[in-house]
Amino acid sequence: MALSRNTSKIVSPAIRVTVIMIITTGVVYPLLVTAIGQTALPYQSNGSQVMLDGKVVGSKLIAQEFDSPKFFHSRPSSDSASGVDPDITVEEANSQILSISDATGIPVNTLKTLVELDMERNRNANAIVFAPDYVNVLELSVELVKNYPQAYQQEINGEK
Amino acid sequence: MDIIQLALVIIVTLGFALLFGKYLARMIVYEVRPLEKTLGRVENGFYKIIGIDKYEQMTWKQYLYALLLTNGIAAGFVFAVFMLQNYMPLNPMPAFSGDLAFMQAASFVTNTDLQHYAGDQQLSLLSQMVSLIFVMFVAPASGIAAAFAFIRGFIRKNFGLGNFYVDFTRIIITLLLPVAFFSAILLIAMGSPQTMEPSITTGTIEGKSQTMVTGPVASLESIKQLGSNGGGYYGANSAHPFENPTGVSNIFETFLMLVIPFSFPIAYAHLLGKGRGVSILAAMVIGFGVMLILGLFHESGPSGVETRFGSFGTVLFNVASIATNTGALNSSLLGMNHDAIISLFVGMFVQAIPGADGTGMMTMIVYIILTLFIVGLMVGKTPEFMSMKINPKDIKLAVLVFLAHPALILIPTVVAYTTGSAESLFDKSTPLSFTQILYEFTSAAANNGSDYLGTAANTPFWNWSTGLVMLIGRYLPIGLMLAIAGSFTMKDRKEIVEPIKTQGPVFVGILVVVTFILTALTFFPVLAMGPFSI
Repeated sequence: MALSRNTSKIVSPAIRVTVIMIITTGVVYPLLVTAIGQTALPYQSNGSQVMLDGKVVGSKLIAQEFDSPKFFHSRPSSDSASGVDPDITVEEANSQILSISDATGIPVNTLKTLVELDMERNRNANAIVFAPDYVNVLELSVELVKNYPQAYQQEINGEK
Repeated sequence: MDIIQLALVIIVTLGFALLFGKYLARMIVYEVRPLEKTLGRVENGFYKIIGIDKYEQMTWKQYLYALLLTNGIAAGFVFAVFMLQNYMPLNPMPAFSGDLAFMQAASFVTNTDLQHYAGDQQLSLLSQMVSLIFVMFVAPASGIAAAFAFIRGFIRKNFGLGNFYVDFTRIIITLLLPVAFFSAILLIAMGSPQTMEPSITTGTIEGKSQTMVTGPVASLESIKQLGSNGGGYYGANSAHPFENPTGVSNIFETFLMLVIPFSFPIAYAHLLGKGRGVSILAAMVIGFGVMLILGLFHESGPSGVETRFGSFGTVLFNVASIATNTGALNSSLLGMNHDAIISLFVGMFVQAIPGADGTGMMTMIVYIILTLFIVGLMVGKTPEFMSMKINPKDIKLAVLVFLAHPALILIPTVVAYTTGSAESLFDKSTPLSFTQILYEFTSAAANNGSDYLGTAANTPFWNWSTGLVMLIGRYLPIGLMLAIAGSFTMKDRKEIVEPIKTQGPVFVGILVVVTFILTALTFFPVLAMGPFSI
């Protein structure tokens, strides 16, 4: 009798503390962060979605595959750790410029400038010192389409 | 640029460690904290619900029992959710097999977070949120609580080791939860998603369709890093852009991993002497520095490394992650240079430079006791610590803590080879495959959780074996160390100068050398067969 009362006295707080912490840390905490995130930072909270002509064309943070030779290409997914690395190095971007210029007719110097501008944007987003220089492929592609809608008419309408 | 990055991490980490260390010290000896009245009222509410008397002190056995019991119940809950997630709401996923659910429950509750599954493909949003985020608070809170009790054992005779439920509640409510909360908001600002939608489907520029797994990522990420947990929302862990979106988040997450482990020596300095605490901090910083230099010696990547982190951000994050036994990686280990892999092994072998939240500090004190014993033998003096005699029983317990680690790594590695379970994962045995097997058990035994095998290890042998290794690797040393604290709290303190001072540059030097020599002697043969031969 004394033993079982002792046992329940010891076991009861362990069960209670688990239940109260499941509610506090497993339910209330993530829901509260979600409420604040969705209210104050809806763009990031919903996956940093990139818009083009009023349509969502992907997430800035997730690489997408491009078939057309008119776009910059992400790394092969097997090459990066995440498989969805959205960025390429500046050297990699520059090495693709010639063929993109050929396919689109956009001057090489303009492409170089667009790469530079995107690199600068990322530099600022990383407070300059926190990351190496890189280019975000989706952002760069959106800039291309915005600046040269004629050249990309087929691609963005899904026609080949 | 890289140097500025490194300098900022060190300055900010040590700066916050000064603040947090003072706070931890106040928690350990129940001194007034900022907002004490409010915090006290909230805590009293929790004690009422839990049904405990906050003034009731526990013996080391009671403390250990309460810790084991609470962890056992939490693990049981995680196990049940994984086994039943197909019946639960919020994008149900197929249930885990029994062996995988056992392994994962053991993995999360022991603060290891080794994952034999890919979270984004195999866990429901409910499992990620209610079981994973919850247990990521339980595991570090238990480790920190054990360290509180351990440190109280040295403060003065019969100070009392404390009450597990009181410590556990206070650590979650007034330390981990508020810091994780603000960090989660910051992570959202940096780009981590936080939504109750399990996935989003969008078009692409070329008019195709793309589906991305989302969820309460930021709220998991912050406690994953702060609590030295390391279990990713995604299979790619901190390499995934939603978990670690930019170079800024990479550094912020590095800071989150380092801050609590480096706060402990500061707390120790407040409670047990400034010189002693600063000396421990110095030993930890030196050990961490050695790992970092080794890792940065050669370039890592570009294959297996994310572009936005580059070689430097990758090595910095991963070394911090392994050194703190967090185990989250922001790259594939196959993309890391060999010396970096050896450096990661060193961190997991030592477990105390600075080690995980709470347990890293405890392990470091065990190294100090062992160092005093060895040095005492050499100079012919009775080992004393904090003016207390270290008797043979304490030494035996400390040696057992030390020996448990190699036993838990080497014996299972041998078993894996003798049963053919190691070979079944690879086409042929090479130094690289041996390294991967050794890494798996080292990571499990150190409660680290970084993995070299990944989902390939989701077989009954690997699930049961690593599950057991993680459980023993966590609770045996904690039990032994609490026993040491139980012994020290009843000792008389003498008012004489210690025969061997546990502070100052000479002691720091000896401590570091002894720690590295003990580790090297224990593990050199397997390192020679594995990473040295690749």
